[in-house]
Amino acid sequence: MTDLLQVAKKELKIGFRNPWAYSFLLLFSVFGLSLLLVNSQNRIGGYSGITGSMLNLILYLLPLMALFLGSFSLTAEKEEGSWQLLSTYPLGTVPFLLGKYAGLAIVLLTILSFGYGLMGLVTVLLGKAFEINTYLLFFFFSCGLVLLYLALALWIGALSKNRWQAMTISVMVWFFTVIGWTTLLVAVLGLLPYLWIKPVLTVLTLLNPAEFVRLFVVVKLGGGSVLGPEYYQWVGWIQKPGGSLLFALLFIVWAACTIFGVCRIWERGRTRG
Amino acid sequence: MMNGKRWIWGCLRFAAACWIIQLYMGDSSQAAQAAQAKKPPIPLQELVDRARPGEVVRLKAGDYAGPVVIGKKLVLQGEDGTLLVQDSRGPAITVKAEGVEVRGLAIRQKAEGEGSAAVLVRADKAVLRELDIRTRGSGILLREASGGRIEDNVITWDRAGARLSLGQKGNGIDLYGSPDNRMIRNEIRNMKDGIYLENSRSLTIENNRIYGSRYGIHCMYIDGTRIAGNRGESNFTGAMVMGVKDIVLSDNVFTKQSQNVHAQGILLYDVRTSLVERNRVDGNRVGIYLERSSDNELRDNAVYRNFIGIQFADAERNRIHGNDFVANVIEAEAAQSGENRIERNYWDSFQGLDLNGDGFSETEYAMNPFYKNLISRTPAFQLFFQSPGMTFLSDMVEEDRKRWARDASPSMHLLHPDLDPALEPEQDPVAEQRERIPEKTFMLIIASMLFAGSLVVIIYSRGAKS
Repeated sequence: MTDLLQVAKKELKIGFRNPWAYSFLLLFSVFGLSLLLVNSQNRIGGYSGITGSMLNLILYLLPLMALFLGSFSLTAEKEEGSWQLLSTYPLGTVPFLLGKYAGLAIVLLTILSFGYGLMGLVTVLLGKAFEINTYLLFFFFSCGLVLLYLALALWIGALSKNRWQAMTISVMVWFFTVIGWTTLLVAVLGLLPYLWIKPVLTVLTLLNPAEFVRLFVVVKLGGGSVLGPEYYQWVGWIQKPGGSLLFALLFIVWAACTIFGVCRIWERGRTRG
Repeated sequence: MMNGKRWIWGCLRFAAACWIIQLYMGDSSQAAQAAQAKKPPIPLQELVDRARPGEVVRLKAGDYAGPVVIGKKLVLQGEDGTLLVQDSRGPAITVKAEGVEVRGLAIRQKAEGEGSAAVLVRADKAVLRELDIRTRGSGILLREASGGRIEDNVITWDRAGARLSLGQKGNGIDLYGSPDNRMIRNEIRNMKDGIYLENSRSLTIENNRIYGSRYGIHCMYIDGTRIAGNRGESNFTGAMVMGVKDIVLSDNVFTKQSQNVHAQGILLYDVRTSLVERNRVDGNRVGIYLERSSDNELRDNAVYRNFIGIQFADAERNRIHGNDFVANVIEAEAAQSGENRIERNYWDSFQGLDLNGDGFSETEYAMNPFYKNLISRTPAFQLFFQSPGMTFLSDMVEEDRKRWARDASPSMHLLHPDLDPALEPEQDPVAEQRERIPEKTFMLIIASMLFAGSLVVIIYSRGAKS
């Protein structure tokens, strides 16, 4: 446990020395303020086209941010040789990676808090309307997204040899899960027998953090009807208080499985490398 | 020790037995009292026959038996607890004379079948007011009766009867060949059609509430009618208007009509030169549906959260302007439709460009049917609604642009914020609790906490010694 804390502390320190963190901080703050402008045109409570496009803007930026910061952090360990050094100490892979995850998560959440905090303060000062529920839901949505993509980022970092490779894979993962997802699925699922489409789509949706987090927020914002009669049952589940619990469970399982995978990869690298 | 326990048990048992006996005795004595009070129902026909024309017949609280035929002008006035029960087929009350008024009665129509109405009116200028009708057939029927007033009645389906499908039940209020009637502030639940109007002119239907029925308001061939301020919830279709000219449909609210595959908020079929304004259709399968209808004006309606906002089939020369379309999955859909003028509406998914500052965009909004076509083939793909990838994909596929539904000058702002369903007080029971901490203060606290927290973390990690 102390190992884990040490690693997390070190990660936090390095994280805020990293100019990338500040550029993302700036980017996200500017981005948050522009979201505020977009939302100021919106006088409709709950889900609407504008909240939908705000969700999409967040979906474009945050996963990329998490993927870059996370994967670079792990490849840096390899490139700069600090992992080789650490390997000579009695430090387990699991505390090391969990520490990394915790440290990076704090860095990312700090960036988010800064951005959202600024956004909230400006909202209050200018008296622009931003419903508190929507604001909090967006904040948690962003946090969830970042934490899940961070787990993916560690996976990428563990697999790549250097930063360039990590960046390429990150962009690929980002493109695949966020932008190309619909196109790919529409194309591939169209080939399947009709009755398979919905179950396969459901399973694939649970595998893509960007999708299931987005759908959760859409339903929680009260836009469940946009998913249509096919998914009435889902919407019913999610809107119940148990729905949030179920979502939290899915979230934890997803993150835990991914980190477990990273540990396996890293461990293999340790014994063979 | 053992003895003591047994003794306590014994006492408890005795007490329980006494209690049960007392309950039983109490019950039976109450039942006896009720039986004593329950006189055989008074046949209402005798009272009516005895009354002179023009008289006010006051019915004291108690049970009365139908059927009754009123063949002269009189007022039948009930009080709290006046109950008319009809066990046989046929209407409980039949009105055959002009100017009859029936008010303040509870009516139980216990015979099944559409012909078994609670009230049948076959004369002009009838007034039916404050009736509480529970029926296993129909509610109120008007046949060739004009100039009547039907106000403040409650009509519900008797659930104690046979379980029938909606189509087998009778209608709440049913008019045939009865012009110039007014139906105001009635509440109708779980009937076939809430209000069914056929072959009647110049009717007024205002402020009625209709729940859980097949069609809320169903109109066939009723010209020059005004339907305003009504409210329909969880019906198959809110207002089904067919074969009419010159009607006004305004200020109605139709919500949550989505259970049936053919559900609509407002359906207009073969409707001409009519006005549909300031209605709110929220959460329906189709918000407003127009078929074979022409020269109508649809303005200032709020179309929220429907699967399809507005749908045209074979409709032309209609003018659709000043409406708000918010969070509809498919905003507008047109099939084989000629020229409809769609302009100056607000579409929440459209970002316009207003150069001259008049509040309306100079760029037109053309609605890409790609997503619609995709999900009509595979409904499961509806999961991709407004997902980031979907936006990209539909932007890429822009074939046959000429045939898209389009708004020539969409509004930049929501036009009728007052019609926003979120403003409804009843939908937000927690609003009162939230008032305790003003939203702004709450926001300030949270925002400052987030901001300060992030600063602390940054400063701490920058300053921490390794």
